[in-house]
Amino acid sequence: MPDQETRAAHPRTPPRRKADRPAMFSLAAQEQLLPGDTLQQKWEFAQAAGYDGIELRAQGDLRFAARLPELKRALADGVVMPTVCVEMLHFFGAFDPGQRRDAVAQLKSQLSVIAEIGGVGAQTPASYGMFSRRLPPFTPPRDEAGDRAVLLDGLAELGEHARREGVTLFLEPLNRYEDHMVNRLEQATELIRATGLDSVRIGIDSYHMNIEEADPAAAILDNAPWIGHAQVSDSNRFQPGAGHLDWPAWLGALRAAGYTGWLAAECRLTGDPAAAVAAVPGFLRRAGA
Amino acid sequence: MTAVPAKGRGATALSAAPAGGTGGAGPGPAGAADPWRAAAAVLLGNWTGASTVPSRTLYPHQWSWDSAFVAVGLRHLSPRRAQRELEMLLGAQWGDGRIPHIVFNPAVPHAAYFPGPDFWRSAGSPAARTGGYGGAGRDRGTAAGARAGAPAHTQTSGIVQPPVHALAALLVHRADPAASARRGFLARVRPRLLAWHRYLAEDRDLGGAGLAAIVHPWESGMDNSPCWDGPLARIEPAPAASFRRADLDHGDPADRPTDLDYGRYVRLAADYRDAGYADAGVAHGFAVEDPCVNALLIASEEAMAEIAAELGADPGVHRERAARLTEALVARLWDAGAGIFRSRDLRTDRAIEEYGVAGLTPLLASGLPPAVVRGLRDTLAGEHFRLGELPLVASYDLKGRAFDRTRYWRGPAWFNTAWLLERGLRGHGAAGTADALRRAVLDGAAASGFAEYVDPLTGAARGARGFSWTAALALDLAAADGGAWPGPGAVPGSGAVAR
Repeated sequence: MPDQETRAAHPRTPPRRKADRPAMFSLAAQEQLLPGDTLQQKWEFAQAAGYDGIELRAQGDLRFAARLPELKRALADGVVMPTVCVEMLHFFGAFDPGQRRDAVAQLKSQLSVIAEIGGVGAQTPASYGMFSRRLPPFTPPRDEAGDRAVLLDGLAELGEHARREGVTLFLEPLNRYEDHMVNRLEQATELIRATGLDSVRIGIDSYHMNIEEADPAAAILDNAPWIGHAQVSDSNRFQPGAGHLDWPAWLGALRAAGYTGWLAAECRLTGDPAAAVAAVPGFLRRAGA
Repeated sequence: MTAVPAKGRGATALSAAPAGGTGGAGPGPAGAADPWRAAAAVLLGNWTGASTVPSRTLYPHQWSWDSAFVAVGLRHLSPRRAQRELEMLLGAQWGDGRIPHIVFNPAVPHAAYFPGPDFWRSAGSPAARTGGYGGAGRDRGTAAGARAGAPAHTQTSGIVQPPVHALAALLVHRADPAASARRGFLARVRPRLLAWHRYLAEDRDLGGAGLAAIVHPWESGMDNSPCWDGPLARIEPAPAASFRRADLDHGDPADRPTDLDYGRYVRLAADYRDAGYADAGVAHGFAVEDPCVNALLIASEEAMAEIAAELGADPGVHRERAARLTEALVARLWDAGAGIFRSRDLRTDRAIEEYGVAGLTPLLASGLPPAVVRGLRDTLAGEHFRLGELPLVASYDLKGRAFDRTRYWRGPAWFNTAWLLERGLRGHGAAGTADALRRAVLDGAAASGFAEYVDPLTGAARGARGFSWTAALALDLAAADGGAWPGPGAVPGSGAVAR
């Protein structure tokens, strides 16, 4: 069957690769990076640039659920939306019980929505911008045992919900300046093992790993079975290719780990924004994606 | 490689199977169904942050020719890591130009490996400097390698290994010329490679005929080859009580050199050390011209010509050196009747009449006379090595008096020599034989779990598993073979990197 026909009939099929260099990973860009007023316009741009999907962003106050009609129209028009990344200012690891409850409620809704549009999961950190042991006042108001209890409670509730919805919750380790609880893959693995749920996995991020992991490629291999999603940005948090990460080693480790999931660009853009985001798929493929 | 060959331990950190899991990762990282994944996992697992250990648990330091072979494969995974691998090795180069065969990792306890830093004392005994070296007060602060220019900042051994480094540097450069140029890779390593080759060509020309000599069996890289039995027999062994072998902690004694031979290795190394690692003006107990050492020097001079051209320097001088070395190699070591290059014992000035795989590696020299090439191809296919009937090449004569299919370099087939022969055969137009050997490396490396060496008759894995150069060189041949092991396209341009 001619390739053009195949692609037209199966819009989710990634672009054809040379037989001797199969594409290992599917590539996505977060929606705010793509030019266009609608998801359909963004998808048109994304496909032309070589992306295979769009990672959505979910704001609080159930605004992601409110987008369901828009998302369903996009789905009907062939837009591929595998994942969603939470975009809020409080998280399931918050110090404040009320904020925790709200964050869990928001995430459960987001997991349900991504399941309803056929996606694979939602990504969240334990917290963001709440506390850093490297910045004053240095000592958090809750001790480590307290942190762990809160995180395990949240992961259990969210993981059960994800399991019921048939999707996965991706826990993202952040660097030490953005979160004080989960910074390295091994910490996420330990928590996930403790929950005992297949529906919770690590959502790794190349930028945070560059700061926290002694050897990012080795960390990927060490935590291979637990990695469910991957976000990419370079050493300076700009688009892959704009910094100095050793991308062939990082991507080679993902492949050696048996990872076959998505690489989602979550980054800032330097240079002309449209040109910058359009250059990412070519760069990543060339580096081994 | 002088080390602890041990059994049954893979090198990766990935032994734990997932406790279930439906995430993005597949069924574990080292599936035999995808040899590329398995090989990459070995190399990524054996990376220490700046260089690669030959095997994670058993060879805990950086070895010279291992690193060069590793870089050849690592370039397909990360050109930057491959460059660093060579840069870190060259960073421990001595003032006289020698590249030590081991660069010790200071984080590893000294007792973990023998002979370790306290034996070689290249930069002085670290234990002596901290006052803990009992009974050796006179060694306090003295460095056995000082006169030869051993670095003060790093502990190394004082002997060398075969010079595959310039060839490796050229291949690493070719994997990503833009990144290489951006980092100034060739410009930085070239002066060190020049010094290394000068050391071998001048200080080590102990026979005065233009070939580099080795002063210890371990310098051949083929530590216990039967080729060394004769020259070693003359050496008075160091008393067994004067040292403690660490290799038997991990290795089966039946696969290891005998205590008597080990005593001879120690004696030779200690004498060399006690003479300040001087090459001239001392009577070496062991002095041999080895064909593999010199074949690699020729191949590396040819690579230096390419490197010089890349940098706008004169390639001619290197081509002339390669030609002169080739001429001397044929004149001194070629045995036309036997169809193989023999090592030459400089103590007796006679050829060592054995068939070792080292004697086939001059196929790497592009300027070899056609009759010599024909002779080597006949010998490969003949009764001593039976290539074609057997997939890989034994390290020693299948019919030899000392042939032992399981003992280290006394018979087992190794993947680095296969890689060298594949390259040599291809260079001389023997594409069919080279293709078959390449296929045998890919199949044998993956099937053995990237073993250190294999039984040449059955392919059964021997020695360490998850061995770095086995994984690296298989990756390199897979990349050259287009779709043999579908790779990720990690290298710009195409899957097939210029070799």
